[in-house]
Amino acid sequence: MKFNTWFFSSFLISSIVLIPIITVFSSFFENTSNYYEILKNTFLIEYIINSFTLLISVLIFTFLIGTCTAYLVSFYKFPGSEFFKWALILSFAVPPYIYAYSLTAFFENYGTAFTILKNLFGDGNYNKNIPKFDGMFGAILSISFSLYAYVYILARASFLYQSQSLIDLGKNLGFSKFKSFYKIILPAARPAIVAGLSLVAMETLAEFGAVDFFSINTLTTGIYNSWIYFDDLAFANRISFFLLLFIFTLFILENLSRRKAKYHFNSKGGFKQKEKRKLLGGEAFAAFMFCFLIFFISFLFPLTQMMYWTIKFPENLFDLQISNLVLNTLYLVVLSSLVLIIFSLISNYGNRVSNNKTLNFLSTLSISGYAIPGVILAIAFITFIAWFDNSIIKLLGFASIKKIFIGSIFGLVLVYFVRFYSLAFNGIKSGYEKMNISVDESAYLLGYSKRKTFMNIHIPFLRNSLLFIIILISLEIIRELPITLILRPFNFETFATTAYISASEDLLEAAAVPSLFLILIASLFIIVTSKYILREKHE
Amino acid sequence: MNNKFFEINNVDFKVGNKVKVKNVSFSIENEGDIICLLGPSGIGKTTILRTIAGLQNIDKGSIELRGKTLSSKKINIEPENRNVSLAFQENSLFPHYDVKKNILLGTERNKGKKKQSINFEELIDLLDISQILNKYPHEISAGEAQRASLARSLITQPDLLLLDEPLSNVDQSFKEEIQEKLKKILNNFKITTIIVTHDSYEAFYLGSKCGIILNQELKQFDDPYNVYHLPNSVEVVNFLNRGILIPAEVTSPKSLENIDLGTITGNFIKPFPIGSKVKLLIQPEDLHHDDASNLKFEVIDRKFRGTNFIYTLKTPTNTLIPVFVHSHHIHQHEVDEKFGIKRPIHIDHIVCF
Repeated sequence: MKFNTWFFSSFLISSIVLIPIITVFSSFFENTSNYYEILKNTFLIEYIINSFTLLISVLIFTFLIGTCTAYLVSFYKFPGSEFFKWALILSFAVPPYIYAYSLTAFFENYGTAFTILKNLFGDGNYNKNIPKFDGMFGAILSISFSLYAYVYILARASFLYQSQSLIDLGKNLGFSKFKSFYKIILPAARPAIVAGLSLVAMETLAEFGAVDFFSINTLTTGIYNSWIYFDDLAFANRISFFLLLFIFTLFILENLSRRKAKYHFNSKGGFKQKEKRKLLGGEAFAAFMFCFLIFFISFLFPLTQMMYWTIKFPENLFDLQISNLVLNTLYLVVLSSLVLIIFSLISNYGNRVSNNKTLNFLSTLSISGYAIPGVILAIAFITFIAWFDNSIIKLLGFASIKKIFIGSIFGLVLVYFVRFYSLAFNGIKSGYEKMNISVDESAYLLGYSKRKTFMNIHIPFLRNSLLFIIILISLEIIRELPITLILRPFNFETFATTAYISASEDLLEAAAVPSLFLILIASLFIIVTSKYILREKHE
Repeated sequence: MNNKFFEINNVDFKVGNKVKVKNVSFSIENEGDIICLLGPSGIGKTTILRTIAGLQNIDKGSIELRGKTLSSKKINIEPENRNVSLAFQENSLFPHYDVKKNILLGTERNKGKKKQSINFEELIDLLDISQILNKYPHEISAGEAQRASLARSLITQPDLLLLDEPLSNVDQSFKEEIQEKLKKILNNFKITTIIVTHDSYEAFYLGSKCGIILNQELKQFDDPYNVYHLPNSVEVVNFLNRGILIPAEVTSPKSLENIDLGTITGNFIKPFPIGSKVKLLIQPEDLHHDDASNLKFEVIDRKFRGTNFIYTLKTPTNTLIPVFVHSHHIHQHEVDEKFGIKRPIHIDHIVCF
């Protein structure tokens, strides 16, 4: 019966993760308030158009930036190319909402740009000449410069593993460098690039902080507003339903492309390491400048802007209870990582030993939580708890359980669990995929029980993968905004929520300190994991 | 009371719901015996081993070891509790341990047992893997991994050792040496073993009994000599590629007649009534070359096999007959030349179907 224990544990975990998704879909059939009718005839179209505009623009930007930088560092040697290889992923440390604060802080009237010009050229009416990056364009820039690294990482991995013979083939056919790029290299990397773009698309549609800051009405902010201002959960869920349909289409696309992408990674034998061409003179300078510009705009610019304000308004540093924020963040990170790792391990192991199709399907479905915007998850969670409390707990005559789940660390960690479950599950799964099932069987035949095989063979083997997953989860939780904002206990703040609250009160200077800390901590995590993210050999 | 060391009774071997080999029965009489299972790829040989190891269940028949039921419809002893060891064909070494640790993990099972244990150093030496002990599985070749895996299985000294194509990745030049060493270890330590292979020579050398699995059935289970010389069905003949079947008519209890070869005499393995139309097995060593003979056929192919040539001859009825000739034979025959067959033709064991 050991197989059954593992099977049921996995089944239970996957089912719990699926609850918010099912809640959103089932709420589509519920009644909504008048607000829905009003909105349907007025703003809903605007929400959809804005979401779509944002999505397409961000996809174009991230494609251009991500692919070009990946191409340069994968195929050429130029001054700084080794540095840019990992430095370009540092943009992950700057969430779109912090980028948005920096953009506004720099270009606003009498902002940092104004101060620089004034210091350089004396007093003057510079405001009218300083471009304003706000509204839709600001949101597009903020999201693009924060998310292009998804495309960069996957495109680079694909470029790196393109076989030398493919590139030699282009040369033999007499193709120019540009023609080789768009005729051979780019099509071969297409699945990887599409996979990167799909991730960008999902994050863009889920983006809350930056679009809210620039007051753009998208489906995601619509969901948040209908809940916060109109207290209409059913309507929030109804918009979520539309958004989810959209996201699931992307999710399926991404999955399909990733499956294909496998074939482009020459993981075993026959792989001939490409020789990078050394660029000289003008070409080297142009390549350096392009990468530096992207690195500067995406990372150094928001970092220095936040530093500048922290130094300029040091009182904010002292107003903020840094140690509290660090402890809170650490608390969430440790607790969530622990829960995610333990349950993902159980679920993966259950899948492995029971090898059951239903369970496999359920697991695949349950990892879609990552594709669902945090706002939707948080609201679906509240909806479910409210329904459960009203219809089951009350019926049984027990005291309300709302307080246990809503506005509590427990509830917060539970929703983080749903949101980041796919990260942990997939991370462990890919670790497991490197271990043939006959390894387990060999252990059994050496007299190891299933538990001993799990503890003595699997855990040591997965150790590195687990460390990597913990750091990734930590990075996500540090940056996470909407779930924390909606579900955190009263007076419980993280760097992200403190920055958001200050910014939404138009106190951008005050948002600088938590933002700076967030960037620095996230950068540290990225530097630690960069070796794994950018690994050049399939292990 | 059943006194056979190991026994399989009427078992259907399945993968999922698909039956791979049905209604299998065979036994190993004594502890320390080695048997080999032969069959083409994908026929279900590995499934048999996995089932014996307890990695797959059965819903018909029984598998017994030392009189104790390991598997049946109702009983399925967990793999870890069987003391049956299986060396997989593919690399199944623990990827995060070096070769030495991988092998030594096998000794854990025998801790506290009084059995005379296999000496680690000796085993390493025999299998010639001393130079890879500190390497990780991904750093060694497939052949080395296979030998390391073999060492790990051997060192456990199981009640029953199952080897799945144990030398399939080992270099041909090294194979015979390893086969000899393996046989020596198995015999010295009386390790009862079932070896699955598609190499008939390996099976004939290592096994005291050989089973031939074809078309979802165990077709023959016999001594290697009998399997080789006295195949019990057309399928076994075809599988072992032992020769060709030609039409003939039984003319007496000790002779038959073929349109191309004329009269053939010998001892029938199985009696047939006079006048029966049969298919006669002609193996390459059955016919002998004789330049002076007037029974001549056209050479259409010649294969050099080191110690001998195999000539393929075409008869007037377009039958292709293989004939062995020692490679030191005074002269060679080219394609299209005539090739004489010694008469009268006498075959020691006449195999007919």
